[in-house]
Amino acid sequence: MNDPKLMTGMQEIVVDEVFPHAPEIIWKALTSGELMARWVMKPTGFAPVEGTQFTFQTKPAGEWDGVIRCKVLEVIPNERFAYEWKSGHGGNVGYGSLLNTVVTFTLTKVEGGTRLRLVHAGFELPKNHTAFESMSKGWPEVIHNLVASAAGEDPSKN
Amino acid sequence: MNDTNTINTVMRTLADPTRRAVFERIVQSNETTVSELTQGSGVTQGAISQHIKLLKQAGLIAERPEGRNIYYRAEPAGLAPLVDWLDYYAAFWQDRFGNLRALLKEIDP
Repeated sequence: MNDPKLMTGMQEIVVDEVFPHAPEIIWKALTSGELMARWVMKPTGFAPVEGTQFTFQTKPAGEWDGVIRCKVLEVIPNERFAYEWKSGHGGNVGYGSLLNTVVTFTLTKVEGGTRLRLVHAGFELPKNHTAFESMSKGWPEVIHNLVASAAGEDPSKN
Repeated sequence: MNDTNTINTVMRTLADPTRRAVFERIVQSNETTVSELTQGSGVTQGAISQHIKLLKQAGLIAERPEGRNIYYRAEPAGLAPLVDWLDYYAAFWQDRFGNLRALLKEIDP
């Protein structure tokens, strides 16, 4: 995630791995509340049904109670599972700042197993915090160049 | 998330529009002085000095004394905590994928 090109605007986190298991097995681990609790976090009120609202409880920060509010957006068995991930509070910066994001899992059958791709999208940098709302024009470019030079790269090449 | 305080410091420091403008001018010049920054800024030299002090405390700028002048330049590494913040979520999912791998091995040996 240290790519300087990714430093401004909307960001997403991608994890993409192949598992030596059939899509049906992975699907079960993704969409069973009991199994979710064993590898992500324990969900409350979860059901693999579109429109279902559920929560995860994490560490509070400032005025944020630590509750991640989720809503199931898409359920295509053995293929695709997506939910909203809303958390944080506008009064926080860094950890616990306001997030309005979407988590999507995509499963693809490959030789010897399944490719599982996670995309956690909708992070807004650097203006994820209201402090950055009045950012002047050119500021994203400034950050871009600074981070590029911090990474020892020539910003003009990007 | 051990660096929460550092991130907050950087974000708070840059939240002030005047201070951010000072920082941008330092970034755009290779090196500059308080009196150069004061010229045409519409704020007093004392105010500029105060902003400089806070930018320095946040690790966003570095100084180099030469004779009677002090020259300031941007410290790119000072912005690293903003990158680390996103890294937190990336690490979260990497870690969870590790859990998933172990769980799958257990339920489907």
